[in-house]
Amino acid sequence: MKKYFLLAAFATLSLTAVSCNNESAAVNTVESMKTPEMDNFSKAFKSLGDPQNRPTEEEKKRNTSELSDRRKALLVPASKALILSTGVTEAELTRKTNGDMSAIIVWATQIYSQKNNEIRNKVKTEN
Amino acid sequence: MKKIITSLSLFAACLAYSQGSTLIINNYSLAYDFHGNIQALNVAGGCYPIISSNNPDMVVVPADSNEINGLHLEYKNYRDQFGTSLYPMAAWNVSLSATNQTPRAWNHASLLPGGVISNNTKWVGSKFQMYHKGTNNPETFFNGNLGADVAPCITNESYITTPYGDAEWFTITSGGNNYTYIQIF
Repeated sequence: MKKYFLLAAFATLSLTAVSCNNESAAVNTVESMKTPEMDNFSKAFKSLGDPQNRPTEEEKKRNTSELSDRRKALLVPASKALILSTGVTEAELTRKTNGDMSAIIVWATQIYSQKNNEIRNKVKTEN
Repeated sequence: MKKIITSLSLFAACLAYSQGSTLIINNYSLAYDFHGNIQALNVAGGCYPIISSNNPDMVVVPADSNEINGLHLEYKNYRDQFGTSLYPMAAWNVSLSATNQTPRAWNHASLLPGGVISNNTKWVGSKFQMYHKGTNNPETFFNGNLGADVAPCITNESYITTPYGDAEWFTITSGGNNYTYIQIF
């Protein structure tokens, strides 16, 4: 009987040790904790640097820093997906933005920023 | 009733944060660190006040620091960046005229969001130099004055192409919200 107790105690101890080891090994990063929608949203911004997505000569000559409509359109699908992932419905999205590309991207950017901060704080307290 | 108050105060909080412009720097380059002086000024006329980074003079956003891995620079405003950004700016140069320039700490009363300086200035550019990752060796041909053209205050380039990489400046604006991006590829 005593033997079983000892065995059980030993098993618990070693399991705890193993699990704690695993925890420290799998350090959580902001990147690993992002949702797929967040990931796609941030990758859409990077895609603005892909050769076919760079500003054309005409776009460079415009007298404004505002991203061109052609390039804003590249950010819209990932922006919409990120907004919808928070539980907002298609109808609400349309009502609040009127389908305006800038409004959609700015809304998504605010969501991204907030979620990113939440994850960063979580990572800070967990690690 | 409680619910209404909660949602009203949430709405108010959203409004408070919806003013001004946010600066985001995404450095996607794997080989080069971004070292840049950040500038803002009164774009509505007269150029002044002019704001620029003071401490550090050049903010460093290392290679591969961007929104994909969460290591990007994000400055919501002159003050709150200090507590919320990964790249805190301890002081800004504030020029009220050509003959008046003083460094002011991030928490100086004049730099509050909603204050006169905050309300009347916008990010306009960055004088930057790329350095080989983790070193003090500049890549001589990867630098420039990146940003917006605000005549007669400042002349910048919105897109800079080099054999070592590209740098871009753009904004996305909707209503009172303005996001300004620097992206390095």
